[in-house]
Amino acid sequence: MTAPLLDARNLTRRYRLPRTSLLHPAPVLTAVDNTSFTISAGETLGVVGESGSGKSTIARMVMAFETPDAGEVLFQGQNLHALSPYELRLQRQKFQMVFQDPFGSLDPRRTVGWSIAEPMRAIGADGDTARRTAEALEQVGLPARDADKYPHEFSGGQRQRIAIARAIVTRPALLVADEAVSALDVSVQAQILNLLMDLQDDLGLGILFISHDLAVVASICDQILVMQHGKPLESGPAAQVLRSPAHAYTQTLLKAAGVST
Amino acid sequence: MFQLADFSVSFGTATALRRATLDIRQGDRLGIVGESGSGKTMLALALMGMAPDAAKIGGRLTIDGQDMTHASERTWQQMRARRVAMIFQEPMSALNPLRRIGDTMMEPLIVHEGLSRAQAQARVLALFEEVGIPDPAARLRMFPHELSGGQRQRVLIALALACNPALLIADEPTTALDANVALRITDLLVRLARERGMALVFITHDLAAVARTTKDIVVMYGGDMIERGPTAQVLAAPAHPYTQGLLAARPDPTVPPRDATGKRRRLPTLPGTVPPLAALPQGCRFSGRCSVELPQCAGTRPTDHAVDPDRSAACHLLGAAP
Amino acid sequence: MTRRLPVNFILGAVLVALVVGTAALSLVWTPHDATQMAISNKFAAPSATHWLGTDQLGRDVLSQLMAGARNSMAVALVAVLLGGSVGVALGLLASALGGWVEDGVMRLADLGFAFPALLFAIMLAAVFGPSLTNAVLAIAFINIPVFARVTRGAANQVWTLDYVLAARAAGMNRFAISRDHILPNIAAAIIVQATIEFAVAILAEAALSYLGLGAQPPASSWGRLLSEAQTLMYIAPQLAIYPGLCIVVAVVGFGLLGDGLRDMSDPRLSRER
Repeated sequence: MTAPLLDARNLTRRYRLPRTSLLHPAPVLTAVDNTSFTISAGETLGVVGESGSGKSTIARMVMAFETPDAGEVLFQGQNLHALSPYELRLQRQKFQMVFQDPFGSLDPRRTVGWSIAEPMRAIGADGDTARRTAEALEQVGLPARDADKYPHEFSGGQRQRIAIARAIVTRPALLVADEAVSALDVSVQAQILNLLMDLQDDLGLGILFISHDLAVVASICDQILVMQHGKPLESGPAAQVLRSPAHAYTQTLLKAAGVST
Repeated sequence: MFQLADFSVSFGTATALRRATLDIRQGDRLGIVGESGSGKTMLALALMGMAPDAAKIGGRLTIDGQDMTHASERTWQQMRARRVAMIFQEPMSALNPLRRIGDTMMEPLIVHEGLSRAQAQARVLALFEEVGIPDPAARLRMFPHELSGGQRQRVLIALALACNPALLIADEPTTALDANVALRITDLLVRLARERGMALVFITHDLAAVARTTKDIVVMYGGDMIERGPTAQVLAAPAHPYTQGLLAARPDPTVPPRDATGKRRRLPTLPGTVPPLAALPQGCRFSGRCSVELPQCAGTRPTDHAVDPDRSAACHLLGAAP
Repeated sequence: MTRRLPVNFILGAVLVALVVGTAALSLVWTPHDATQMAISNKFAAPSATHWLGTDQLGRDVLSQLMAGARNSMAVALVAVLLGGSVGVALGLLASALGGWVEDGVMRLADLGFAFPALLFAIMLAAVFGPSLTNAVLAIAFINIPVFARVTRGAANQVWTLDYVLAARAAGMNRFAISRDHILPNIAAAIIVQATIEFAVAILAEAALSYLGLGAQPPASSWGRLLSEAQTLMYIAPQLAIYPGLCIVVAVVGFGLLGDGLRDMSDPRLSRER
């Protein structure tokens, strides 16, 4: 058996909260508690939970924006949090991220092409930057000439396509999507979800897909991990979790996602 | 009670709401469903007499038989809170962060209804009880940031109910809330409407939430009301191509993501995006994105065609059928 | 839709244009040589040849005011550019690195705030002798903490935005992010601050020159003109009033312009209007 693309082992992350009293030590919030998961190439893991469940903290640890207090993130067998800052920056081209807010994730003062090429400039790639930017735009269904426009000229859905183009321009192996369709209208959501599936088929991406919406997760994920209050409640193949949820909380999420009453 | 007839709101050449017709009766639970730019929020603001000053208003709005189309701010102040009240998407920003919950709650009762402090407090405690806020006496002394999102939304509902409105407008009240909290808030709205005989207008883009909450539904697109009828029937068998597309695009958690050969299933989509208000087609607003378009769609606005005795949709296809 | 310009911006822009235009004009033309003395013609009343009259040495007052404007502007410009660049660089550095670097820079800024600029100028003058250069350095110095603080506050806000996180995910280092994303997005706030500081610098230059710590003869500046005129207050009060008025117009002009720019760059304020 080949090693998984991403292997997160026993991740724990605690935050110290502001002290409420001079006499007591500052309270500690365990945002993520002893959570493990793996993602293989070409496979999507959905992490479902609501605000405060720790799912965004997981994304930040996998992206190495934050260091876990315990546990490790192995990406292609390498412990990301043990790398030097320089080595980590070079590795970043292989795991990229799509954010929730399509209006906040693009610098309003930079052209779309400039933003898309940023990950390539970071690794010092030159020469074919313009060609790769055009290619990435076409892969997400936008015309290459859009590279010269500014973010405010696009709708929310189009901006999310641009953000995805930036995330795939370095041909990464892993994509982290944190609530990537939550801010979009329903009809646009489906377009973006389909786009992610297309890209996964073409590029063999592993995807960590984080969402509060079980219906969205169900439509795109092979594996599901349900989180609540920082703890993993249940996990397994998507079909199994959806057909026979083991946990009452998962049933609530299913009920909230269902149209049929 | 509330009646809109050919009601329009426009800004220069952009029409935010086009010839809306609506009747709201006592005890109605009406869902207004649409995506961004559909005009659903403009409709809510119009019902509150809060359309922006720059807006040009046409048609007619009557409340209890009184023409409110061009009513003064003063007349509206009499109407708001007592006849119609509203709750918003973001429960945090709707509460003054520097005032205790109790003071925020009691103010309208003391100002509008002339109650004494003690009377107002008793009324607030009863309201808190009604909307299911635990330990109401303690909450009165708290500040908004000390409450959870769900509790804050309950406070706002209590605030909206303070002067016994005949109509409660809820604009995306569950969008900012977590799933199980949202479930409880929609349950609460349904219970309050039933117990009080109050009309509820529930504005949302969330089809699951509208299915749980409302009896009837109006689907909006690009400022037009394009389909209406009993919620269950419309969602089960939508008549307008837009409603059909919207429902199909919504992922169904019971369908496995890969088919038998292991290939990923793609979701049905609506092509394109909602055009900006000023660029909407003159005829059917949905023309240009519609999969079954007729020649007249782009230029001629479709009228309502009955689908069932109590259902209708504004689509040329339904007019063409025998 | 056209947005109406705030009144303070328009008024400030007109005053600033007047002052800057006069200073610029003095580079190529003044009615007379500002340093040309004519004792026989001292304290002349305004006339066709001397629009604002002459001073105690018979020099043309208007020409002196114009030359003074040039010096006052130059001092303020160099001082704000110098202090601003250092302050912005320190603010960006503090915001990018955080931790003890940020704490250190901000404590130093607090120290700078607590230190009176005049005292610093007097110190410089005591050690190196009074000169225009030392005045510029002193004014630049007081600007450093102001810009460091404004920059760091604005930069910290931008650092929390998703597009900065995206740049980090792209593998950019903190200095490149500061250059590419932070600085362009806080430029508006810095320009507003610079305009306001320009007004402060003009006033500081006038104060220093008035005390004899700034422009040295024969170089002219508004502060120097004021200081020379003070002994003649009872004989020729107009000699003090003219430079005083110039300083007021310049300070008020740049102050209003800065306020107006801030109003325009803050969408919350423009919506309330």
